Amino acid sequence: MADQTLPISGSVDVTPPHAAAGTFLERLHGWVVTVDHKKLGILYVVYSLIFLLVGGAEALAIRIQLMIPGNHFLTAATYNQFFTMHGTTMVFLVGMPILFGFANYLVPLMIGARDMAFPRLNAFSFWLTALGGLLLYFSFIGGPGLYGMGAAPDVGWFAYAPLTAHVFSPGNGTDYWALALIVSGFGTLGTAINIVATIISMRCKGMSLLRMPLFAWLMLVVSALTLVTITPLTAAQFMLLIDRYLGGHFFDTQAGGSALVWIHFFWIFGHPEVYVLVLPAFAIANEIIPVFSRKAIFGYPAMVAASVGIAFVSLGVWAHHMFTVGMTSVSNAFFVLSTMLVGIPTGIKIFNWLATMWGGKIRFATPMLYCTAFVFQFLIAGLTGIILSVAPWDWQLHNSYFVIAHFHYVLVGAIVFNIFAAIYYWYPKVTGRMMSERLGKWNFWLFLIGFHVTFDTMHFLGFLGMPRSIYTYEPNRGWNGLNMVVSIGAFIQGVAALIFVYNLVWSYFHGEVAGNDPWDAWTLEWATPSPPPDYNFATDPEVKSRRPLWDLKHPDDPDWKYE
Amino acid sequence: MTDTVQHEAGREREGTIHLPAPTAWPIVLAFGVTLGFAGLVTNLGVTVLGVILIAVGSIGWFRQVLPHEQHEDVPVRVQPVTIESSRKFVERIEVSEEHRAHLPVETYPVLSGVKGGIAGGIAMIFPALAYGLIAQHSIWYPINLLGGAGVANWRNPTTADIAAFHWEGLLVASVIQIVACLLVGLLYGAMLPMLPRRPVLLGGIIAPLLWTGLLHSTLGVINPVLDEHIAWGWFVISQVTFGVVAGLVVARESRIRTAQSLPFVVRMGIEAPGLMHDDHSQHSGEKH
Repeated sequence: MADQTLPISGSVDVTPPHAAAGTFLERLHGWVVTVDHKKLGILYVVYSLIFLLVGGAEALAIRIQLMIPGNHFLTAATYNQFFTMHGTTMVFLVGMPILFGFANYLVPLMIGARDMAFPRLNAFSFWLTALGGLLLYFSFIGGPGLYGMGAAPDVGWFAYAPLTAHVFSPGNGTDYWALALIVSGFGTLGTAINIVATIISMRCKGMSLLRMPLFAWLMLVVSALTLVTITPLTAAQFMLLIDRYLGGHFFDTQAGGSALVWIHFFWIFGHPEVYVLVLPAFAIANEIIPVFSRKAIFGYPAMVAASVGIAFVSLGVWAHHMFTVGMTSVSNAFFVLSTMLVGIPTGIKIFNWLATMWGGKIRFATPMLYCTAFVFQFLIAGLTGIILSVAPWDWQLHNSYFVIAHFHYVLVGAIVFNIFAAIYYWYPKVTGRMMSERLGKWNFWLFLIGFHVTFDTMHFLGFLGMPRSIYTYEPNRGWNGLNMVVSIGAFIQGVAALIFVYNLVWSYFHGEVAGNDPWDAWTLEWATPSPPPDYNFATDPEVKSRRPLWDLKHPDDPDWKYE
Repeated sequence: MTDTVQHEAGREREGTIHLPAPTAWPIVLAFGVTLGFAGLVTNLGVTVLGVILIAVGSIGWFRQVLPHEQHEDVPVRVQPVTIESSRKFVERIEVSEEHRAHLPVETYPVLSGVKGGIAGGIAMIFPALAYGLIAQHSIWYPINLLGGAGVANWRNPTTADIAAFHWEGLLVASVIQIVACLLVGLLYGAMLPMLPRRPVLLGGIIAPLLWTGLLHSTLGVINPVLDEHIAWGWFVISQVTFGVVAGLVVARESRIRTAQSLPFVVRMGIEAPGLMHDDHSQHSGEKH
């Protein structure tokens, strides 16, 4: 039997938990000065969830405004600020931080490390991200500022030139947008460097790259992609500020610049950014689907290759956001084909998730429900993406609600669904308590219904020609009923989100005690107590396969014999 | 049952673990950077404060890590814990003989499809040119029909235009023909393991008919000019010529053993212990 054992030391810190002692202020101080990857991961996630509620509230305000024609629930100026802040918040203050929060918490545990490679940089990166978000929202109350009135940004989350020029956007709203995202962008870069360094250099003994959990693999890919994509955005934002205050003409067409340069810079960032957001969602599915199907992931090497392939191809598709700009037919053809190419690796992934579930002993607990919905919704999102990749289709549907529906299918149907799945799945590890399954199922089904009522319907509004970002519409356009349905769906999602928040809080105090490994899972984080001690592993673990806990649990049939 | 108990790493013992010491300097530095930028839209005094905090934070951070990183020692007592599953019974995937009987043990190599595509691509030129000569009295007519699809500035050409020689049309048509034949041949080769028994029937009759039907229904959208001028009867003849020649070339190739005769895990990197047990025992002598 000796050759069937693996030195993953099950270990318990039996020292009295010093961190739990002390007054509220002492505990608060502990969080502020922490460099522990787990605490920073929790801070990321909590920070993002707060902004998720804020961004969600903005979305509801937008939907109230559009619920009926000729409505004046919001002023036109406030409406512009709300849709700008909604998009900016969801992408920069929710999507990226929460996914990096999961990476922070889980990657060191999964690869058998005690912390991230650069713990202080980790703290610095989080606080930059957090303070960047606060700076953005400070714009609502920022006062007159140096150069004019202070107000929230109102130029859309992509802030196209020449609207952002000083003459068209006086005041400081656009400046807040650029400066806040520059600050949070620095934080994002720091985290990405940290994750890459951690995964490359701190894996435990025996964990070769092809034995890493797919979650870690995808976070490595995402972090590398982040390093490539955030930099053009940051550069463009500096150029924008130079244009606005130092007499630059980068985006000033009348002075020899080009507004198109901004669009290129933005989408060179913006489209890979979609994959920066969705690849971690894939990573979550890669962990949850096998555990709840009771099967190893189907086609591990293909999943790795597909992830790298998606990241690579995503760098060459940005101009499919620009078909209506008027590019040459050769450019159109290139970006049509390169965009369609993304369908191949993503198709491989969907196939492999289904193949993992196929023949498995599936248990539809809440995390698995969310992941299952994700697979089918992401398939639909991918198909509408292929539709939009065809230039003539895009000419008809660009900037319509069809596009809004498509990217919300990706951002909500895929990413938010898997964020919920991840929280339900790893909450027991983080808190030591299970989330309520009953509330979880209410949360899931309401959110699923609300999602489809909202975003399925939005596709039809797009077909009927409703443009994005409009403040209101006339009653004779044929959009009234559909807009009402979309808004009702949004409120159903809002109710589901409140149930989720209630479940988070209630379960923290009253949830069933989880134990170390409540899902009978296979990766290293489940070998630690719940919550894990500060040092994660008292002794360095050693692995021999991709599923080290399977090897321990089934010594007569370990994976390492077959890998 | 726990195996960690048996391992040396699982023995109970005491010690301390070095962890990076908590520090406030990262948040001070981050606050400084944020204020440094925030001052640009609020008050320059804020920027000045930010710069001061950046300086203080940087110095503090340096002192935190130089000359030696500051650590805190966490005392721990390691004791073994049980890692076990409540699911003791492992059910292996059943593979029925009936199911495996559908998987070919031998097939044609993918490369044979490419060869077939090249041969078929050359052969199909002749009925196409024959159509041009007989129906339009010009061999350039079918070439321009194909090549005109790639010439962006060719709008609403007359029949005389299409029948005339255009070097751009010839160039584009050649590229389309070569690429399309290679890709179709590659696809054909890739499909052979799925339908390996009658390559001539598949490539010569079924595939051309399916392809022609698909094109017939969509060409009006893809290329309206080509759709207006195409003669579908000749098109089918040309396609069938491609398919028959490609099929014959493939059929002449010797078959190779498919990967089905090798352990699944070896080929695909798929973890399937249930399959592996049998495959290892049955095929261990056959591996290269």
